Amino acid sequence: MNKELEHSFVTNLEQNQNIVHKVCRIYTSDRDSHNDLFQEITIQLWKAYPKFRGDAKFSTWMYRVALNTAITLYRKSKRSIKTSDIDTIDFKIKADEYDDEVEQQLKLMYKAVKQLNDIEKALVFLYLEDKSYKEIADTMGITEVNARVKMNRVKTKLKKILNP
Amino acid sequence: MDELELLKKDWKKQEDALPKLSYDEIYRMMLKKSSSIVRWIFIISIIEFVILAGFEIFGRITGIYDELEMAGFGKGTGIFLSVLSFAILIFFVTRFYINYRNIQTTDSAKELMKSILRTRKTVKYYVFINLTFLGVLMFFMYGYLLFFNEEFLELSGIPKDTTPKIVLIIALLLIVVVAVGTVALIYYFLYGRLTRKLRRNYKELEKLEV
Repeated sequence: MNKELEHSFVTNLEQNQNIVHKVCRIYTSDRDSHNDLFQEITIQLWKAYPKFRGDAKFSTWMYRVALNTAITLYRKSKRSIKTSDIDTIDFKIKADEYDDEVEQQLKLMYKAVKQLNDIEKALVFLYLEDKSYKEIADTMGITEVNARVKMNRVKTKLKKILNP
Repeated sequence: MDELELLKKDWKKQEDALPKLSYDEIYRMMLKKSSSIVRWIFIISIIEFVILAGFEIFGRITGIYDELEMAGFGKGTGIFLSVLSFAILIFFVTRFYINYRNIQTTDSAKELMKSILRTRKTVKYYVFINLTFLGVLMFFMYGYLLFFNEEFLELSGIPKDTTPKIVLIIALLLIVVVAVGTVALIYYFLYGRLTRKLRRNYKELEKLEV
């Protein structure tokens, strides 16, 4: 029984690992913390797995647990990202695919996102994942209206960071 | 906001660049639950330390220790025993902490297996030494009281001359067995459960390694 549970969990996670990697990307700035967070999310997912009843999609459930882990973990460690780390973000933007201006703009955007707080990051993350406001609301446990309002605030904040 | 749309496009392109972990790698990560077991062992040993220290302070304040000294145990003996039991405990609390630190920083299955073995061994030694210490202590203390301390016999209502030696010996053994047995039972529930879980993780890791 336990073995079966383990197998189904690892298989599910293996197939959906991109979600966790992307959460790690939004919340961490270097490889080590990326791996640490991935590990922590894996453990939390596994702990919560017996309670996952399959009434939600595995991936939806994963979004929720992964984001919660990232947010609480960062709360605990009192936000270890410093401005100096932001320059070392290894978002790989292939130079030949963009002209310089676009590339520059993207870099600034990523920097701006890193300056948001944990909840705002979660919102932006789900937005980038092309989730509807309903899905964002479900994942974050807020109302749809609230999700829209918050997202608009985040957009304003990002604008302010980009054009101080 | 145009920039955000731009970011969204780029975000999708990055999917290919994301790391890809294998089934085994994820499975191993899941087995890291060992580290929380080892943390519990460390925490329990600290609680034990606090309780022992509590008894020590309680004994000194309420004067139970003085009564023991009156019963013929010199002041030196009491202090020696206290120091010894604290030394044992401090040594093992430190070891448990080192084990915990090691297991946290490991990322290969082989190292993890080694750490698990080391932790189980430490717990085994700890339980063995503590029980031996307790057994020997009880044996000598009650042996002294029953055979050489007439005051104690009088207080306990044991008629000295009519009680055959064999009864006293059985009583002594019984006291030691009950005391050691009780503590062994507590350890069995505290550490036994945790070390069994560790062993299960170990076996799973072993299967992966083959």
